Amino acid sequence: MRDLHLYFGLFISPFVLVFAVSVFFLVHNWLPKAVPNPAGARSVSDLPLPANLDQLSGRERIDTLKPALDWAHVQGEVGWIQHLAKENRLVVPVTVPGRITTVTIDVARREAWIEEQRTGLASALVALHKSPGPHLVGLRMNWFYMRVWYWLADVTVYLLLFVTLSGVYLWYLLRSERKIGIALLAAGAVSVFSLVYALVH
Amino acid sequence: MHSSTEQDAADQPVSPRPWGDSLRRWNRKLHYYLGLYLLFFVWLFAFTGLLLNHSQWRFAEFWDRRRQTSDERDILAPPPGGDLAQARDLMRQLGIRGEIDWTTTRNDATRFEFRASRPGHIVEIKADLARNKATLKRIDLNTWGVVRILHTFTGVRMDDARNARDWVLTSVWAWTMDAVAAGLILMVLSSCYMWYELPQKRRFGVIALALGFLSCGLFCVGLRCLY
Repeated sequence: MRDLHLYFGLFISPFVLVFAVSVFFLVHNWLPKAVPNPAGARSVSDLPLPANLDQLSGRERIDTLKPALDWAHVQGEVGWIQHLAKENRLVVPVTVPGRITTVTIDVARREAWIEEQRTGLASALVALHKSPGPHLVGLRMNWFYMRVWYWLADVTVYLLLFVTLSGVYLWYLLRSERKIGIALLAAGAVSVFSLVYALVH
Repeated sequence: MHSSTEQDAADQPVSPRPWGDSLRRWNRKLHYYLGLYLLFFVWLFAFTGLLLNHSQWRFAEFWDRRRQTSDERDILAPPPGGDLAQARDLMRQLGIRGEIDWTTTRNDATRFEFRASRPGHIVEIKADLARNKATLKRIDLNTWGVVRILHTFTGVRMDDARNARDWVLTSVWAWTMDAVAAGLILMVLSSCYMWYELPQKRRFGVIALALGFLSCGLFCVGLRCLY
């Protein structure tokens, strides 16, 4: 039990740091501004776009656009696609933790205009903290690595639950620490429940 | 079977430095005490994080099961002042408590719309200051809705400078989130120190830590270098 507590705890510690450090950015809305890529924007032509693109939406449209994004050497998690019907353009945000790429596709001309913005480490931590999150359920996790992150985030929570339970068991074996430990456990429980009660009622 | 205490004593190397022993002892105490105090907070945030990542879980459905009511109430037009002061005055008259969210831009001085929310309860207030009437639309969520919102209840939103924390309990909850995060960072550091003090556990510990850092580092830094 001690060994599992130790090794699982060490494995999840970088993940716990990511979730904990990003809390400060999320709670205080502190994020450095994104910096455009100094190399500037670029354009790509002859995009492999399907003829029925305008009839597609949601996840189907994202999956259909993936070969065009690969052609343009843009990889990442595709977000909500904006369709500018009048101009027959699609604005596709593609995120890699720490970078956002906006691909504007001229459907008729099969051309794309690509602009990259570096958002930095703090933004990467925030993006990972919020992934996958509760929104855009049908669209999210469309990039292999974000599916892996989804799995890792779950593993972190399950291992954290194991580490806390095994920690409680290991503490309980220490007779000399029992009294003060119970007092602290009770103080923590009272703090959580009183705060939640005050917020909700 | 050895007790944990006996195991601890066996694991610890003999130190010739009394301050080293003291540091080790207090680091262990910090690890236990902080862990025990934060236990329920960690469970709350871990469990609600899981709920947020699995919005498809039917048992935790809350939005479709919300209760919605609306009514019209008499009000006194608040005295001239800023939007926040006027909103607070209206909330006091209507007996509503919570964090103010600005949902629309105010174009007409006689119309005033905002939302007051706290975990599990949202009230949309549309005040007609010329008629001295306010329409209230209340949304009450079930327990799953309450616990899910607790995870994200900060009073601020990224890229939205207009919405700032304006309810004292939101600030207290935000400081709590900060404290839990700081506590978790301390727990991680203290656990690394405790592990490092156990020479016979170092090899497997390095493997576990390296696996964690490599997989986590790939997402934090590596992906944007690779792609």
